[in-house]
Amino acid sequence: MVPVLLDLITTAAILYIVSSGLLLVFGVMKLINFAHGGLMTLGGYAAVMATAMGLSPWIGIPLAAIFGGIVGLSMERVVVRSLYNRPLDAILATWGLSIIIGQIITLVFDRGVHFAEPPIRGVISILGEPYSTYRLILIAFALLLGVGLTLALRGTSLGLSTRAVIMNEDLARGLGINSGLVRSVTFTLGSGLAAVAGALITPLSSVDPNMGIAWLISAFMLVLVSGSSLYSLAVASIVLGGAQVVVSNYFGSVLGGMTIAALAAVILRIRPQGFSYE
Amino acid sequence: MSEANVKEVASTSLPRPHFGPLTRMVIVASIVLIGVGVAPLFMDAYSVNVLVRSMIYATIALTVDILWGYLGVLTFGQSAFFAAGAYATALVFTYGGFSAEYAFAALLIGIAVAVALAGLVAFLAFWHGASALYASVITLVLPIIVTQLLFSGGTYTGSSSGLTGFETIPLSSEAWFWAVGVWLVLLTAAAWMYTRSDAGRLLIAIRENEQRCKYLGLNTSNIKAAIFLICAAIGAIAGWMYANYTMVVAPEIAGFTFGTELLIWVALGGRGTLFGPVIGTIIIDYASAQLQGDFPFVWKLVIGIVFVSVIVALPRGILPLVSNAADWFRDRIGIAQPQQHSQLQLRQASRSGRNIIGVESRGPALVVSGVEKRFGSLEVLSGIDFEATYGEIVSLVGPNGAGKTTLMTCIADGSKRSGGTISIGGHDIAHRTPEECVRLGVGRKFQMANVFDSLTVGECLQIARARLDPLSKWQKSGVCSLPPSAMRVVRATGLHSDLNLPAQVLSHGKKQALELAMVLALEPKVILLDEPTAGLTKAERTLIGTILTELAKTEQLCILLVEHDLEFVREISSRVIVLHQGRIVLNGSVDEVVNSELVKSVYAGSGH
Amino acid sequence: MTEVVLAVNGLSSGYGQATVIRNLDLKIARGEIVTVVGKNGMGKSTLLKSIMGYLPKFSGSVSMAQHAITDSHPHQIARLGVAYVPQEKALFQDLTVEENIRLALRGSASWNEAKAAIGRCFPFLLQRLQQKAGTLSGGEQKMLLMARSLSVGAKMLLIDEITEGMQPSIISNLVKIIKTERDRSDLGVLLVEQNIPFTRAVSDRYVLLDKGEISGSGNTRDPDTHEKIAAHICL
Repeated sequence: MVPVLLDLITTAAILYIVSSGLLLVFGVMKLINFAHGGLMTLGGYAAVMATAMGLSPWIGIPLAAIFGGIVGLSMERVVVRSLYNRPLDAILATWGLSIIIGQIITLVFDRGVHFAEPPIRGVISILGEPYSTYRLILIAFALLLGVGLTLALRGTSLGLSTRAVIMNEDLARGLGINSGLVRSVTFTLGSGLAAVAGALITPLSSVDPNMGIAWLISAFMLVLVSGSSLYSLAVASIVLGGAQVVVSNYFGSVLGGMTIAALAAVILRIRPQGFSYE
Repeated sequence: MSEANVKEVASTSLPRPHFGPLTRMVIVASIVLIGVGVAPLFMDAYSVNVLVRSMIYATIALTVDILWGYLGVLTFGQSAFFAAGAYATALVFTYGGFSAEYAFAALLIGIAVAVALAGLVAFLAFWHGASALYASVITLVLPIIVTQLLFSGGTYTGSSSGLTGFETIPLSSEAWFWAVGVWLVLLTAAAWMYTRSDAGRLLIAIRENEQRCKYLGLNTSNIKAAIFLICAAIGAIAGWMYANYTMVVAPEIAGFTFGTELLIWVALGGRGTLFGPVIGTIIIDYASAQLQGDFPFVWKLVIGIVFVSVIVALPRGILPLVSNAADWFRDRIGIAQPQQHSQLQLRQASRSGRNIIGVESRGPALVVSGVEKRFGSLEVLSGIDFEATYGEIVSLVGPNGAGKTTLMTCIADGSKRSGGTISIGGHDIAHRTPEECVRLGVGRKFQMANVFDSLTVGECLQIARARLDPLSKWQKSGVCSLPPSAMRVVRATGLHSDLNLPAQVLSHGKKQALELAMVLALEPKVILLDEPTAGLTKAERTLIGTILTELAKTEQLCILLVEHDLEFVREISSRVIVLHQGRIVLNGSVDEVVNSELVKSVYAGSGH
Repeated sequence: MTEVVLAVNGLSSGYGQATVIRNLDLKIARGEIVTVVGKNGMGKSTLLKSIMGYLPKFSGSVSMAQHAITDSHPHQIARLGVAYVPQEKALFQDLTVEENIRLALRGSASWNEAKAAIGRCFPFLLQRLQQKAGTLSGGEQKMLLMARSLSVGAKMLLIDEITEGMQPSIISNLVKIIKTERDRSDLGVLLVEQNIPFTRAVSDRYVLLDKGEISGSGNTRDPDTHEKIAAHICL
């Protein structure tokens, strides 16, 4: 029972980390960034590079943030900016960008599987059951991320402007807020977060050019049921992630793999606003 | 200037014998079929091999184009139907062995499974009120679930390595080339005929403005579902061919990645062009096979870059670019372009009598009693009671936020009000959807002119008649029957000389008139007009006013109109209802309202 | 001749292909309060939205304090010192009173100056700074709107039917506040209204708008003002 419970909590934490960047972009720009998976892959390779250069595995995380941020900023400038009024086309174009990222990575590295040194190895005993220390650290990281993003949105003037753009972009513009700038910053931040998430999950999954895609769909479904609220995302991560763990445990991992997608589709059919309280 | 063009076309093209696009299509299709016939004789075995697969893919790309390019449903899920057909075949052959009967059975099973899956998707994705994004999400979930189901089949479905080594229809590569080639040509020709037929225009109308279609009495959810099911069946047939031909199936063919690859081919070829996606798929898949060996990653990178550039800069794909270039070239060397438009003819419609209320109905046309509307705790309408009879023009006036448009919406869509009853010609609208309300005889014109921008004026009118005069599914009929009322609007406003112009180039005034004609084409008994004169010039206002008074008199229409232009209201109304803060404050003759102190105070803003 | 703050020359604009404002000229000087009067649907809100850069201008030009703003974005126009008070959805309901005001502060305008302005005009708001704007009553929300536009150091106010649904006592207080603040910082004010008493009390000049065109104008001190406006607005 204890391992299942811990799996449930850590899975929710991982899903939260993986989805928060996508949620931020969706909330502010009302578009789905299908390059999110590609950016996660990029982050995974940042961790691989840190290992290859003999750096501390912790360095992989800021490295991923920088890579993701730079790539995200350029994508926003060159491609995404012209698709604000074509949300379905934006999905396709960002998917194309994801292919480009994947192929460049394949050209630089190769098609094979790589490994990154985990920042922490070993297990801790929780109520007599040994459990992966790193997975537990991810809970702390998810909490830190949630609190950090909330504080940034509530406490800074850019955060306030961002919330204003989420709520009513036209009104925000009329008050002198440069919503284009807010969008750029958001996309950059969202991309950085995607890459960080990619680096953080490297100890749990192997690194290959397609590693992000599996996560993209889960993150996408979670964001759709959460609207634009970080709080709803936490609820959605726990409920859907929990369901995934339970289904995987009792009905096998194959059915577990489709739990989030199937459940989210049903939730949206019954309640189009999902977990957001609007 | 454009009007002059149309007239000129009309006078020069009519006497010429009709050498239609249909004939040209048959010629082109025959040439391509001959090409398919001789091609394998001149190609190496590897190319023939690859092209069979490419052509199978092209048939699914064709369905993706119909769904996305015409109907506007961005689908990631066609791969799942393909896999349904392929796995059905592989499983039947693996566990039953090969025979002609089994091959036929496998085809039927594959189609049945695909159609069942598509029915489930359509039920989820196309319900009344579902967003375009939600429909896409469901088509995205489908391949994920199907892939997982294939994995969970374990050794029975071959799990991640799939099934192989089963015996299939014994045909040579050349024979497959001919079979698949003929199927592709026939399918493309059929799709071409369907999409340019009157019914095919309806797909574009739904993509452009589904709400308007619903208020024209068309059940768009059912239409979308029907198209989706047919496309799923075609996908399953492609899967059946694929399994028979390649003798191997793997879970990847069901996946989301293959689903998006189809979208890439369609986008590059040119969505909404049919030929573009077919040609694009064949070229890209064939080139991939040729280049995969030498530059596998660079090739995919190039495709990715071209794809992103096309989405951003050429949303209509590459084929339109090629055909534009061809037109330009033809202009340069002075070959006159064949006239594309066949002249549409307007006809007087005989009374169809398909509306539930007959012409002979007695009693009030519209009864509204105790209607309320709340948004949460906010009460927008309360205690609305009034009646209107046939032949009456009733104007709803009142300041902004008084609830006028909300009241219109409640009459045209039974699911919108929070309380009270509304009946049309003695029939309670209960919780009927907008399309069912149209059947009761309600016609609604929206505030901003709500027409189908990329269709021609004539096509807009045909779509408006679609409920009463079923559209031809295989040709452009060239005829549109209109009831006398709609005909009068079309003639009086000069729209009859614009029938072949795209609606988007019409002036604002003509767009308003077109929408009015579309509403009248429904043969309604009660029409709801939301600010029909907004943005019109003085002369256009007078014209619309005259038409409306005439219609009320001669057609015995009950007209309910929301209007801010009180001068206009005074000229045409038989009665005026004043709404203020969600209540009726006055319901009386024009004179009573004009001389009312209460109304003056409501409008002058000096309190209540 | 006093300095012109906002100049609209030959402006035509509208939605999509529908022209709502036709060839309109309007100049507002520093320290001047002008009201555009017209019935619903005559293009009053459209006029403000096009000046503010929300709608494309089909022809003509607009300048603000000598800067051409014909093709500027709303946020650029706001930063030139234009405070716009839209008629609907003008507040962030889920943000606090303070956040609603802070959002509008740019560059030179400081929170302390803003607080001073609020204290002068609507002191009760200082006690409610941490309250969500959506929990204020309708009248209080209107005052918050005015407070926001008056506390950002603007040179020009554009106000869309602020008196709709307001009690007469609050309206007369509002007249006083707008005039005091105008005198204090030489503000230009352009209002859009249907309320005749308010228009007469607050403005120096009025302009009648009919189907997107100016059909008349006058000085509010003229004796026939009420009759002229009433004839224009009522049936």
